Amino acid sequence: MANEKILIIDDDDDLVLAMRLPLEAAGYKVFRAMNGVEGLQKVKEVNPDLIILDVMMDSTTEGFQVSLTLRSPDPKSEYQAYSKIPILMLTAIHQTTPLRFGPDQEYLPVDAFIEKPIEPAKLLDQVRKYLKK
Amino acid sequence: MNLAALRSAAQASSVPVEAELVPSITWLIRIRWLAGIGVIGATWSADVILRVALPTLPLYAIGLTLLLYNAAFYAIVRHLARQPARALGPYDLLTKTQIGFDWVAMTALIHFSGGLESPALFYFFFHIIIAAILLSMRATFFYAGMAALLVSAIGVLEYAGYLPHYAVLMSATAGLYRQPLFVLGITFFFISTVFVAAYLASTLSARLRKREAEVVALSKNLLRAYTRLETVYETTAAVNSSLELEQVLDQLVQRTAHALNVRACSIRLLDDTGARLTVAAVYGLSDAYIKKGDLILAHNPLARQVIAGQTVIVNDVTTETRLQYPRQALEEGIRSMLSAPLLGKKGPLGLIRAYSTEANHFTQDDAEFLNAIARQGSIAIENALAYKALGQLDEMKSRFVRTVTHELRSPVSVVRSLLHTLLGGYVGELSAPQREMLQRVQHRADFLQTLIDDLLELAAGKMDVHAQPALEPVSLDEAVRRVVERFQIPAQEKHITLEWHCECPEGPVKIAATNEGIDRILNNLVSNAVKYTPSGGRVAVRMFVREQRATIEICDTGIGIPEDALPHLFEEFYRAPNAKAQVKEGTGLGLAITRDLVTRFGGHISVQSKVGHGTTFTVIFPILIELPV
Repeated sequence: MANEKILIIDDDDDLVLAMRLPLEAAGYKVFRAMNGVEGLQKVKEVNPDLIILDVMMDSTTEGFQVSLTLRSPDPKSEYQAYSKIPILMLTAIHQTTPLRFGPDQEYLPVDAFIEKPIEPAKLLDQVRKYLKK
Repeated sequence: MNLAALRSAAQASSVPVEAELVPSITWLIRIRWLAGIGVIGATWSADVILRVALPTLPLYAIGLTLLLYNAAFYAIVRHLARQPARALGPYDLLTKTQIGFDWVAMTALIHFSGGLESPALFYFFFHIIIAAILLSMRATFFYAGMAALLVSAIGVLEYAGYLPHYAVLMSATAGLYRQPLFVLGITFFFISTVFVAAYLASTLSARLRKREAEVVALSKNLLRAYTRLETVYETTAAVNSSLELEQVLDQLVQRTAHALNVRACSIRLLDDTGARLTVAAVYGLSDAYIKKGDLILAHNPLARQVIAGQTVIVNDVTTETRLQYPRQALEEGIRSMLSAPLLGKKGPLGLIRAYSTEANHFTQDDAEFLNAIARQGSIAIENALAYKALGQLDEMKSRFVRTVTHELRSPVSVVRSLLHTLLGGYVGELSAPQREMLQRVQHRADFLQTLIDDLLELAAGKMDVHAQPALEPVSLDEAVRRVVERFQIPAQEKHITLEWHCECPEGPVKIAATNEGIDRILNNLVSNAVKYTPSGGRVAVRMFVREQRATIEICDTGIGIPEDALPHLFEEFYRAPNAKAQVKEGTGLGLAITRDLVTRFGGHISVQSKVGHGTTFTVIFPILIELPV
């Protein structure tokens, strides 16, 4: 369990704070990136054990784009080494994004969705679950 | 004069001579039966009763012959009538033959009944009149001439002794036939009378025919005017039956083309700048022609004229100088055009144009007709445009609400997240009063979230139909069962019995809806029932299917709804005063959303209630009839 690294990619400072506090209290090390580009950089830098990604930052598909890049099937992709890191995506209900992924899709760029508003207990549950895998 | 009579009058042939021929021949044959019988009868009575010396045998023979050849003519006419092609040639020949035979019979009759002394001489005049009615003036005079000739021949031949004389008159006048003065006199008077009669009868007949022709022509015109009027009314009705601009215009062009009996019709409307006319609807023209371009008023003198209010006929596209695209018109096969303005209350809307493949096709009549249609069409177009503007306004409002609400979401969500973290103890220990106050804040923030969600749902429901999710078959009984199960625990906690009865047929009850929508409706109604029913009460959900309709009743023994609140119940943000007293919080949007959804699914919702006793909400949906694939 020793200090697993969690990378949060989200542009909303308040939301990040709401998540950072319970996560650090549970003993995780929290890193943060402001947007998709910075996020991908930080992944290479930090090599996190889990990524929390907001679905919508500047554009409606920014979150999915990051996950698609990280999990690109292209064997020559520079993110190959990071394609197995679990990704949790933050969404608000009713948020309509053009990409919908269902359980029958063979290629799921994220592992689970976390609905806003953040409930620390639920967040910690999910994090624990996916770090174990 | 009713329409049927008008129609038959108009359909009458414009040349009455031919039209009368067939019935006239039948009539002639019928008279001839009488003539034949008459001759035989007269001969018999003259011989037996009056005891006049007559050559009875020849006379009976003539009578019989008459009857025989009449029978022959009768048979011929019946045979001709059975032929499919009713050519008039044979009938005309038949008439002339009959009259010819009659002439010979008449001559023989006169000869055998006293020659120039015969009283039967006068019967020739029947034939003259018949000829004048049935045949042309020339034919009539021909027969008159023949009659004069035959009678003069008898007179002369009997006088000269070449023909035997059969005296019929009494002795006092016997031998008259030998008197030159008698012979000349009778002959002269007969000839003159026969020709005068021929002339009079023919003239009268000609005038009659002329009048008939006039009546036919007038009837035709009247019928055409009536049909046109009918078409205008029908077009008006069809065009006003819809407020969708596209439908209105499509109806208009199609009906106009049919009414004017031309190949094509188009409507062009002025754009916002008022400088060009773009195609709004078209019927009967190729895509290539339509794509040739808009009519630019500055380059199109014809269009300018029409927009100014004039109805213009272009008789021949090849010689017309005012067209903007003459070449394309020719390539399309158009030779003449008729354009009428579409004038709205505030100014010109555009123009309507009819296209014909023949040159000089359109008359003044057509122009007036198109004008009448254009006038009605303009009204319908203005209505449709106003409706569209209204729709757009409504759409803009809904879109605004949706945008605003969406924007509100994000900060509220963050506030709630922070509150969760705070109350979770992750920002340090909280004192009891601090905790309590934060919980109040959380409560209000949660309510804010619900309000925003509801508002969004409401605005989404009011948006353009095309943006809505498509309807699909939904199992109503399953949906109800699910919602009822969901509320079993909350109901038990409040000590309320929640029952579910279904008088359902075998198999699922399917309606056209969306799963989320139905869930929303049922959730709202059952939740309200449980919320506003005090402890110990009862909520019963009943469903039954009757005559292609599924009815759901949600009955509770709750606080009820006051009578003056009932009409406002489904209004946005409305909460009945006793509801507010019972349960402090509620957005007041639940029923508004519910009703919107019910309506969208083709259903109906109603409520009955008595304060202190309870409330029953009834929702009815039409059953989805799935056709076998």
